[in-house]
Formats: sequence, C-alpha cells, structure tokens
Amino acid sequence: MKTLYQMKGYTLHLIPTKKFKTITISLRLQSPLTKEETTLRTLLTFVLISATKQYPSTKALSSHLDENYGAALSTNVTSKGQSQIMNVYTSFVNDIYLPKKESLLENQLQLLNDLFFDPFIEKNGFDETIVNIKKKELKERLQANKDDKFSYSLDKLFEYMGRETALGIASTGYEEDIDKITPQSLYQYLQKCIHEDEKHIYVVGDIDESIVDIFDRILQFPIHKLEYPSVYSFTSNKPEVLEIIEEQDITQSKLNMGYTIDCNFVSDNHYAFTVFNALFGGYSQSRLFKVVREEHSLCYYVSSSYAAFSGIMIVNAGIDGHTYEKTKALIQQQLLDIQNGHISDEEIQIAKIMLQNSLRKTDDEAMSMMTLAYNRDITHKQETNDEYIQKLLNVSKEDIIKVSQQVKLDTIFFLTGKENHGNN
Amino acid sequence: METIKYHTLQETLYCEEMPNGLKVYLLPKKGFSKTYGLFSTRFGSVDTTFIPLNEKEMIKVPDGIAHFLEHKMFEMKDGDASDAFARLGTSTNAFTSSSRTAYLFSTTSHENECIELLLDFVQDIFLTDESIEKEKGIINQEIGMYDDDPDWRCYFGSIQNLYHTHPVKIDIAGTVETVSEINKDILEKCYHTFYHPSNMMLFVVGNIDAKQTMELIRQNQSTKSFEKANEIICQENNEEISIDKKQEILKMDVVMPKLIVSMKINDILKDSKERLKRELSMNILLDLLFAKSSPLYEKWTQEGLINDSFSANFTQERDYSFLQIGGDTLMPQQLEEKVIQLIDDIPSMSFELVDFQRIQKKNIGILISVFNSPESIANLFSRYYFEGTMIFDLIDTINSLTLDDLNEIKHLFDKSLTSSFQVLPKNQEL
Repeated sequence: MKTLYQMKGYTLHLIPTKKFKTITISLRLQSPLTKEETTLRTLLTFVLISATKQYPSTKALSSHLDENYGAALSTNVTSKGQSQIMNVYTSFVNDIYLPKKESLLENQLQLLNDLFFDPFIEKNGFDETIVNIKKKELKERLQANKDDKFSYSLDKLFEYMGRETALGIASTGYEEDIDKITPQSLYQYLQKCIHEDEKHIYVVGDIDESIVDIFDRILQFPIHKLEYPSVYSFTSNKPEVLEIIEEQDITQSKLNMGYTIDCNFVSDNHYAFTVFNALFGGYSQSRLFKVVREEHSLCYYVSSSYAAFSGIMIVNAGIDGHTYEKTKALIQQQLLDIQNGHISDEEIQIAKIMLQNSLRKTDDEAMSMMTLAYNRDITHKQETNDEYIQKLLNVSKEDIIKVSQQVKLDTIFFLTGKENHGNN
Repeated sequence: METIKYHTLQETLYCEEMPNGLKVYLLPKKGFSKTYGLFSTRFGSVDTTFIPLNEKEMIKVPDGIAHFLEHKMFEMKDGDASDAFARLGTSTNAFTSSSRTAYLFSTTSHENECIELLLDFVQDIFLTDESIEKEKGIINQEIGMYDDDPDWRCYFGSIQNLYHTHPVKIDIAGTVETVSEINKDILEKCYHTFYHPSNMMLFVVGNIDAKQTMELIRQNQSTKSFEKANEIICQENNEEISIDKKQEILKMDVVMPKLIVSMKINDILKDSKERLKRELSMNILLDLLFAKSSPLYEKWTQEGLINDSFSANFTQERDYSFLQIGGDTLMPQQLEEKVIQLIDDIPSMSFELVDFQRIQKKNIGILISVFNSPESIANLFSRYYFEGTMIFDLIDTINSLTLDDLNEIKHLFDKSLTSSFQVLPKNQEL
C-alpha cells in the first residue's frame, strides 16, 4: 500500500495498523523559530482550538467533541533546532468499537479544516473575548512553568547557553510579548501560517487508501514551495565555562550542565553519539545513575540527554546544595573516564540493546511513531527503524571514545536553596 | 486457566490463581511489540498499623515504609534487579501509592526471562544495614524534590486537611525523620506480611501467548515455598466524621497561586459494584458541572477565576473517599468561596438528559482509548483490581447509568465537610 501522498499544500503520511482502537491525526506546521514570532505562535495554538464559526465558544466546541465520543483535540508548540513546530492533534475512537456507525473521521477532518478556514472571526480578527482569555491563560501557564523548578532551571540553562541563537529562544513564548498581540495581528499570523508554513499530516490507525480522497475533499491548503532549516549543531565561542548560580527558597537544588558536542541528527557520528549518551547518562542504569546516585547517594534523579536537533548534550540532577562541587566533579570525572577509553564491552552492549528496545517500543505508540517519522521527513533522512538499529549496533568502542572527546562543558546553571549554598 | 472474552473491546483476558494464592491475569495484544508486566501488592502508605505475619501484637511502622521497601526490593543477593533487566535490554521501575506498591518491566524481547525476573526479585528479599543507610540519602532527595513541587504540596495538603488521624494523610515517602527510623527488622516484617503471594497480583499484557506464559508462571511458582497465608489484620481507622482543618495557606517561592477545595465523604460503600457505580456517576456529575463543555467552566473562565489547569476529581479507595476541585488561579479566595457555595447548591440541582448522555458518550470514548496502551491498561487494571473491580466492566457500567444514579449521589455534597488549601507566593500579599 502506498503511504505517501502529495496533497494540495501538504504531504500526507499514512501509517496503517490494526493494533489501536483509535485513529490519530497529527498536522505539523513548521516555521523558523524566531524571538519575534514565538509568542504569537504559542498564543495561536491556544486560540486556534478554542472555537470555530460553527462552534463559537470553548463550551460549544467541547460539547461537539464530547458528542463524538470524547474525541481529543489539542495543540502544542515545540522547537526542532532552528524551527518551531505547531502540532494540531486529534484522535477519536474507531467506529468498529462503537454501538453504531458514526462518521467520526469526516467530522474531525471537517473540524480541522474549520479551525484554519472557518474560524470564529469578527472585524478581521479572532473573537476578542476568546483572545483575551487565552492571553491570560498563556501568561498564567508561563508563570506556573516557572514554579516547576526542574523545567525552570533547564529553560534558564538554554537561555544562558544559547544567547543570541535559536537555542536561547523559548519555544513557548515570552510573557512580556503577550500584551501587544491583538485579535487582528493574531489572525494575520494565522494567514501567514496557512500560506507559508511547511505542512505534514500523519494518520495512524486502522485505515486504507480510501481516506486519501476524504482528505482531498475536505482539507486543502494553499500550495507553496518554502522549506525551513531545522537541525543544526550549536556552536559556542565562550572563552571559558559560563557558570550561573541563582538562589531561591527551595529544598532541593537543581544542577543543569550544557555541553557542545559537534554532532547532530544528520551527522555521520549521530549513531555513535546516541550510544555514548545512553551509556553515559541516558537510561536508568547508566554511568551517571550508578555513580552519582547509587554509589554516592547524592541524588534521586540524574541523567544526560542528547538534543539531536540542536546538537547539544544536557546533564541534570537534583541534589543537596552543599554537594554542588562534589557532584559536578563526579559528573565531569565520568566523562573524562570515557574520553580516556575506560568503557567495558558489556556497558556498550547494554546501551545498544536498551536503545534497540526503546526504539521497538515506539511502534506501539501512535504519537512516537509520528514523531519519529516527522524527524526523518523534515531532514530528508531516508532510514527505516531496522536500518537505524543496524547502524547503532555497528558502533564500535573507538567510535564512542571519539565522539566523547568532542564533548565540551559550555554552561552550568545551578538553582540552589538560600541556606544550602554557602561558599561554593 | 479461565478465559474471558470481552466482545465490545475485542479483548480476551486469561486468569488463574496459583496454588500459593497468587492471582495471574494475562492480556495478549495482537500486533504489539511491547510486553508490559506489573506485579502489585496491596500494600501502600496507609498500611502503617498491622499484625505482622506469625505474630500476635499490632505494631506501628514508620511513615513511608512501603515506599522505602519498594526502593530496596531491587537489591538481590547476586546484584541489582535493574542491572539484570538492563542486560535483557529491558527497562524496569516501581511505584508506591496510598494503597498499593507495584513493580514493572517493559520490553520488546526476552519476555519469559523478564516475567521470571520480575517474579523472582519481588518474591525474595535481601537487605543489609549498609545498603539501607545508603538508600536514606536518595530518598531524602526524593522527599526534597516533592517539597519544592507546588502542585504536589497543594494536592496532598488538601487531602491532609480532611483527616484527623486516617493514614491517608501520611506523605507516601514519609519525612526525613520517619525515614531515619527505618531499619532491616521492620522492613522484613512488612515484606513477609504484605508480599505474600495471596496478597499480590501479576498482570502481563502485550506480545505474549497466554498458554505458554501461564505455564511458565506455574513452573516458576511451583519451585518456591511460602509460609501459609494468613488474613492480614490491619488496625481499623476510627476517623472522625468532621474535617481536620477548614483552611490552610502555604507560602512558597512561586509566582502562580494555587487552590484546591477538598470535600470529605464519610459514607463509604462496601459492595464493589455499588462503589464502581458511584465512582462513574460521580465522574459524570463532575464533568457536567466542571468540564470545558459546562456553563460554569465558561462563566468562571470569563470572570478570570480559573484557567485550563482547573479540574475536579473524585477518589475512592479502601475506607476513604474525597473530592478535589481546583487549579492555578489569580483569585484563590474568590474561587474558594464560589466552589464551596456551589457544593452547597448541588443537592438541589437537576440535570438535563441530553447533557448526561453527551458526557456518557465522552466517558465511553475515553475509556476505549485506554485500551491502546499496554501501560495504561495494566495500571488501570491494578488500581481497580484491588478495589474488587475488573476494568472491562467499566464501559458496561457507564452504559447502564441513568440520571437517577446522579441524583442519588447529590446528597454526598456537604459544605460542612469542605476544606481549602492554597499555595501562595511568598513575597506577595494577595
């Protein structure tokens, strides 16, 4: 069965499978990540799914979704390297599990169309009441995010590490830019997205080619030929490690370390780096977990993560403020050990099989399947899961040592309790 | 082995009770790569006062012991269970709630080895004084992490407000002080009492063959010996009817205020069918009142009282039950008054049939979606299992509900049993 279709203004990807009881559709719109537009785009994801002309309030639209057996409709924004992705997502029960046949697929597609082409509009702008409510909601969401000390300190790390680059731009927008948005400017921005964003739609579920016609009939976007860069390797020109320490009235301190790595999703050494990250701190029995948590009882969580679209690595841990220097040194020591070639074959073996397993698991999750496919599609990477696994398995100890030697500590953001942090 | 077919969901469940009392449930999922195993015991943070196996006297154990034991179970004579799972490429984890402790693995290969490893590491205990002391540092960090989490503090604080003495008010991880009292002897007493096979349930879902898997489990269990099962006697909770605290305000280093209004329910049903009916009716009632499709949600949003973090939840486990309503709000005081006033109004409210049917449909759709994910199925199964309910009955029960069932629970709403918990920014007067 053909799974790829060039439609009017978007690419349609079909992922047929009988294992799910729902059908999931994800429309992904890509544009450059910029300081100027990030807040607009985030607010748009709030307003877009609040109402349509036919269902002109959150109450009316939610009732409609309830009627369709609790069909889900949600949006989010994320960054993929230098791009910002708006994801409009809907999922609904496959008719065969319902007492009588319903046309949920057509209903939801029509709704997707209406979100973009038949929204609730007044005076060339979105409804003012809705926009004001959503502006307040976004503001409050950003404030509440700050109160989650884990994500706050991680955001701060990106901000300091990535000053003046895409890495330093918050993909969920800025509080101070919310007020200047008007119902009109937001509606104009929607028009821009409709005309200029690069669009892919993924459908996962018990489907066949017959749905292509339904898509063609119900959902069309203007055709355009723009492409946007996404993946890149973050580079830094800091003369020495930038260390930022902030004090708050908290119990547990949050250590965040950002590294440059000279490698990303499309590099040849992506596979070696993926294995390196797994064994260094990527899963629960990795080096960092073993040493920092199990051997030294310094934390409850510690891990490393490889941000493949920005080409950086992050380490974070929640620790007692007094142990800052000790923890930092232990983490750096683990890195140095690997750089010096102290890796066992078993460690490599386990890291590979863990990666293989977690990749196989994505086959059972509609969202992960779509994200995996999308990452490849926007970078024009032709690779199946089996090919990917083979490349991971082919990584040698030397490859791992080589990529580890490119890892360089760039920025530390340490959020610490007021009493804890004495003379560090 | 018993086979139960569920036609609406197109699922088949296999079950068997082992001679030692262990209940096993298997749910093969065609087309799935993943297999997820969940091994649960009916032992949670509320089980603090009980008669240990083969003893006569009631003992009181330190708060947080179920959670501490969960951490230590991974230690085996010949190494760490997480390491052994990792060698199979499998991830493993565990969690403790108020009413149960559960151990899990998730894999796409070596399913048989994983199932046996899960059974083996949980069905044996190996503790040393040294490793217990070491664990205290890790757990104290976990406690610290929760201490800084305003959502958790508000959620848990609103439960603590309701109860005078009931152990549901105990922090699941305990406190730094209670954790320091934990030792090898008490941990072993808890283990032998609550980890007896007759108090446990294994659920495996995913890429498995039911017959072969059941045989594997039979073989595995037949090689082990356990003491004779006794009924576990826990101290009855003589909780007062009234609530402990009417209002509590916690100042934290945060920007966004939070509010949860909680309400204690003293009328605890015994029959599991009745309990399920009440829970599902309550969920519909709360949706009718507070979901995004409700008039109230619209009104309160427009008045600036709530945002999309607002939610209403019903909890019913063992011998306790309560409601929690709230979220992030810039007007915690005003929202508190509105919610309490509303609770006072509920007994005299009436609902429309069309709205009821709409929410019924919504809840059915959401439940069907749960059966997409092995993890969600297993977790939901285990949660309901210990309450005496099979999750496959949920959809039929929702279908059988009527408006009368909603009217029947309206009397549970009682303003005098409400309490509020607010988290407010430290440096700001509201």
